[in-house]
Amino acid sequence: MPCDELPDELPDDLKIPWKEAGMNGLVFSPDQLRAEAEKIKAKMRRLYLVVSFGFSSAVASYAFIIFTFHYFHIRNALMLVGSSLSVVGFGYLVIDALLKRSRALAHLGETDGLRFYRTELERKRDWIRGIAWRLPMVCVAAFVVDLGVTQELLKISAFLAGVGFSFGVFVLGLCAVWVPVRNSRMARKYQERIDALESAMTSAGRTDPKD
Amino acid sequence: MDRTESQDELYQKVAQEYAEALARMVWAYEADPDLRRDLSQEIHLALWRSLEKFNGRCSLRTWIYRVAHNVATSHIVRQARGKSLGTFLTLEEAESQAGIEDVEHSADRAQALSRLFALIQQLDLLDRQVMMAYLEGLDAESIAEITGLSAANVWSKIHRIKTMLVRRFHRGDRNAV
Repeated sequence: MPCDELPDELPDDLKIPWKEAGMNGLVFSPDQLRAEAEKIKAKMRRLYLVVSFGFSSAVASYAFIIFTFHYFHIRNALMLVGSSLSVVGFGYLVIDALLKRSRALAHLGETDGLRFYRTELERKRDWIRGIAWRLPMVCVAAFVVDLGVTQELLKISAFLAGVGFSFGVFVLGLCAVWVPVRNSRMARKYQERIDALESAMTSAGRTDPKD
Repeated sequence: MDRTESQDELYQKVAQEYAEALARMVWAYEADPDLRRDLSQEIHLALWRSLEKFNGRCSLRTWIYRVAHNVATSHIVRQARGKSLGTFLTLEEAESQAGIEDVEHSADRAQALSRLFALIQQLDLLDRQVMMAYLEGLDAESIAEITGLSAANVWSKIHRIKTMLVRRFHRGDRNAV
């Protein structure tokens, strides 16, 4: 049955201006789109190279500085353990990001709106949750390094050691408490939307929400 | 004719036929003019790319609307922070707020249209899809195929949409818009 035949009063006078709305529909030629696709691809490739190079350089420099410092100047076990953990943590994050990058997306034309919306919300929720538990992992390792630095500073000045320790606690609190709490709240909002969609899917007669 | 050629030809045909409907959709999804242009290009790009894989298992119209709505959904979810996503209204909520702004008649079509776009932009994404498809004149079965909702669910949403539109824009005077 067409929508117009539903038994209630229908503002047809709205449908007409809607259809007659003088929208200048943009039309692109296939060549323009091909060029745009190439441009996006090149941009993504460049971004990927810059980010991976920058990230790897930062981790390598960090490891080099800490290890050199440790072996030639200060022999502090906490700094060594902390920096090793940091490098392992960063390495894990890089591998994790690369694996996520290669995950195939749902096909746009074959996926209905409900399923696609749900997948997008899940992706966003997982991203937010991911930050919430990945960040503390790296922060804790950095905090162990900070404890080592504090130990060494204590030999010079109690005040400097206090400042170093307070800074470490502040950063740890920020990354391991504030960010996870905030992100968990945001993730919960996305989860509520997903639950609402799941119930819509159930009412649409789908037994498996991912079906 | 090779695949690229037929994909290009199909895109050109589709783009001509659906350019205005896609433009209306973009307006209803995005209020910011710069982002609107980006979204429009994103939709056309996705459409052109997807036509290579069009297999005829659903109608071309369903395919086009699915691609366009899905790209727009992705755009909105990407733009939204957790907070703003929570401010989208369900049809039920929008319906209950109908009394607030319907005190005055819409003086002209432009005003009515801008109010209509503003109303759609407040709605949750699935409700937007149903409402836009309804305004485009699609039947409930087609809307169900695009959105993945059951036909019964679409019908009930359409009923709510109509009630809300009547309350907000109609006011018993068919020449009001």
